[in-house]
Amino acid sequence: MLELRNVTFGYKQKQPVLKNVSLSIGAGEFIAIAGRNGSGKTTVTRLLTALKKPNSGTVLLNGEDAAANTPADMARHIGYVFQNPDRQIFRDTVAHETAFGPEQLGFTPKEIEDAVTRALELTGLSDVAESYPPTLSRGQKQRLTIASALAMQPKMLILDEPTSGQDCCERQRLLELLTQLNSQGVAIILVTHDMEILARYPQRVVVMAEGEKVFEGTPRQLFSSSHPIAEWSLSYPTAVAIGQELFPDGSETVMSVDDLCQLLECELGGDR
Amino acid sequence: MTAIVFDKFSYAYSTGDPVLHSIDLTVPTGSFTVVTGPEGSGKTTLCLAIAGAVPQYFGGRMAGNVTVGGVKTTAINMADLARQVGTVLADYESQLVALTVAEEVAFGLENRGVPRLEIAGRVQQALAMVGLSGKEDNEVAGLSGGQRQRLAVASILVTDPDIIVLDEPASALDPEGTLELYRLLGELNKDHGKTIVVVEHHLTSILPYATQLVVMDNGRIVLDGPVMQILTAMVNCQLYAEAVPALWKLKFALEKVVKVSLSDWTSPGEAVIELKKLLASRKKGVAKSA
Amino acid sequence: MNKAAPLTKLILTLAVSVWSLLLHTVSGLTILVFGQLALIVMAKAFGKTYKALAALTVFAAVLAGLQYLLGSGLELSLVTGLRMISMTEVFLLLLATTRMQDLTAALVSQCRVPYEYAFMFTAALRFVPDFIAESRSVQEAQACRGYSAKGSIFRRMTSYLAIVEPLVLRAVSRSETMAMSLALRGFGGASRSFTANVALGSRDYAMFAAMAAVTAGLVIVR
Repeated sequence: MLELRNVTFGYKQKQPVLKNVSLSIGAGEFIAIAGRNGSGKTTVTRLLTALKKPNSGTVLLNGEDAAANTPADMARHIGYVFQNPDRQIFRDTVAHETAFGPEQLGFTPKEIEDAVTRALELTGLSDVAESYPPTLSRGQKQRLTIASALAMQPKMLILDEPTSGQDCCERQRLLELLTQLNSQGVAIILVTHDMEILARYPQRVVVMAEGEKVFEGTPRQLFSSSHPIAEWSLSYPTAVAIGQELFPDGSETVMSVDDLCQLLECELGGDR
Repeated sequence: MTAIVFDKFSYAYSTGDPVLHSIDLTVPTGSFTVVTGPEGSGKTTLCLAIAGAVPQYFGGRMAGNVTVGGVKTTAINMADLARQVGTVLADYESQLVALTVAEEVAFGLENRGVPRLEIAGRVQQALAMVGLSGKEDNEVAGLSGGQRQRLAVASILVTDPDIIVLDEPASALDPEGTLELYRLLGELNKDHGKTIVVVEHHLTSILPYATQLVVMDNGRIVLDGPVMQILTAMVNCQLYAEAVPALWKLKFALEKVVKVSLSDWTSPGEAVIELKKLLASRKKGVAKSA
Repeated sequence: MNKAAPLTKLILTLAVSVWSLLLHTVSGLTILVFGQLALIVMAKAFGKTYKALAALTVFAAVLAGLQYLLGSGLELSLVTGLRMISMTEVFLLLLATTRMQDLTAALVSQCRVPYEYAFMFTAALRFVPDFIAESRSVQEAQACRGYSAKGSIFRRMTSYLAIVEPLVLRAVSRSETMAMSLALRGFGGASRSFTANVALGSRDYAMFAAMAAVTAGLVIVR
């Protein structure tokens, strides 16, 4: 559905921020992009939404060259949720804010109303629809930015570190929402460095390091011990790390606390 | 000696309802206290109360009192209290006022009239602690979010306060940066006797260092005590249990399923050692009975 | 020029203004203007200031032209124009060769300006790039929600106004946090030191002497 092909990008010619990166995301996929701060993961998403144009290589949308597309054109297909909610909210009520996207895309008034209602329901903001956004809590503002993207009914959602600065309840809620959206067919690209999320939610993980794509595969493949993940500023999620130490021959792959529990239950004999 | 004591402290900002309700809390000198809880539970206000900004800067209404180093925070002006308490705010961007990195770190020292020749050395030291050495002349505007957050920490550390209060200091840092920051705070706590109070959601990072865990909800302290005890209580009473680190979620789940009491792990390494022993002894047990 | 203390440059600014008023011939003022230009070039500040200088020259030329058309006579118009260039040029020289931090340090420690006022300038400068970045971010966010900046200038202006509100709110909230943080960092105390080294050296005293001599000379000649 969306693809980067041999893309190189840099603000200055001699200092490329992305070097020959190729990446493709299919409809309905859930992928995560990880890497250290400065590795180029956010830049990848900026190229996908046409906020920046590549120095060389192509960006393809549904198989066609997107070189002439503006971010507004891409908005018909992709909802982009920036990291800082305060920089994305600019209208006087929650409902009005959510309506901005559909309005710009030319939805009819009835379509706008329906889209807004649905988006606010999904994000749990229906009862604050008339509130003045600066009075919302941090978690609610984050959900408002997601609702604003959802109201455009995109087939893909890109989120840049949506869980940073959020408390654990909001984090949980957000992940449940993303899972729900994905099950309804919305492709999700999540930029994150939360290892526990990486292990559990995406079907595919892409790791960026120093502007290059150094890994692409399933979380299971990522956390098998043959990859230098420490070099990429990643770490093993707790359960995975323990699982590797306890079963070093790799006979069992542990990806979550539940996996490890089940395994140990078998080994240690359960109820005695 | 207790560094910080909250005695039935309640507070409301002038614009609204009470934000803290009858807080009773003791932070002993030299402790590493972690405050956690859902958003809006009053953690930031608690930090500002230790620094004296609440109520001195904000006005509002209060009851009870907060004592820092034996002196009530209302009986001493903020600048003097700041000699003992260094505060890193959650909104670290707004805390940075200077044009270059070195000047930002020097700011606190300049305000106190520290002689110019002494400042340079202390600035370098502070920058080295947070990993920003060599960036003295860089403009603040050119730094990334994570670098700015570390700069805010350095600018507080340079004044060498006895108590350091940090409100979500790793929010802009990647896992590597977070590890480094808490390693530094742990060192300041253990080796230099600093009292640390930190607001944090990601409890895995503080497990190796924390000595006291406080859970807040709706302006009240709902749990307060040694880390291990409180983590157990968080799960048993379902109080902000989402924040319990994966290591301990594993421990509790295993204890339930395998009916074995496991020790208090502070790191995956400790868990591995204990689980290996357990596996080995079960194998022996099986071998014996076979 | 770059090595002179900020105070010296401040006094030079004052001196040049005085000289610009004392001199009343085209030739005298021309020498003053080119003298300053020479100082700018020697301080390697030409690259930073040439745009401003060009704009200044155009503006002065317009001013002189207007005055001429209103019947003031050629010499007087030229003198006015040159005076304007001369008095502004020295400010450009000052700002291009002095860091803001050093300037505020000099104003506070040597000119007895209250620190709070000087601080306002450097703090504002610190936030200008952030403000610009934030407004760009908001524009990007709008673009990603389908807004395209084409259309009438009226439409573009109204949508820019939509951005202003959150930016202003953010600026206000930030300034409140900053004020509290300043109080928490001991700002506003009686004794304050400065890392900026603004002490006067022999070069500065030499410049004082030279300026005094030139001023005296001009007064006498007049």
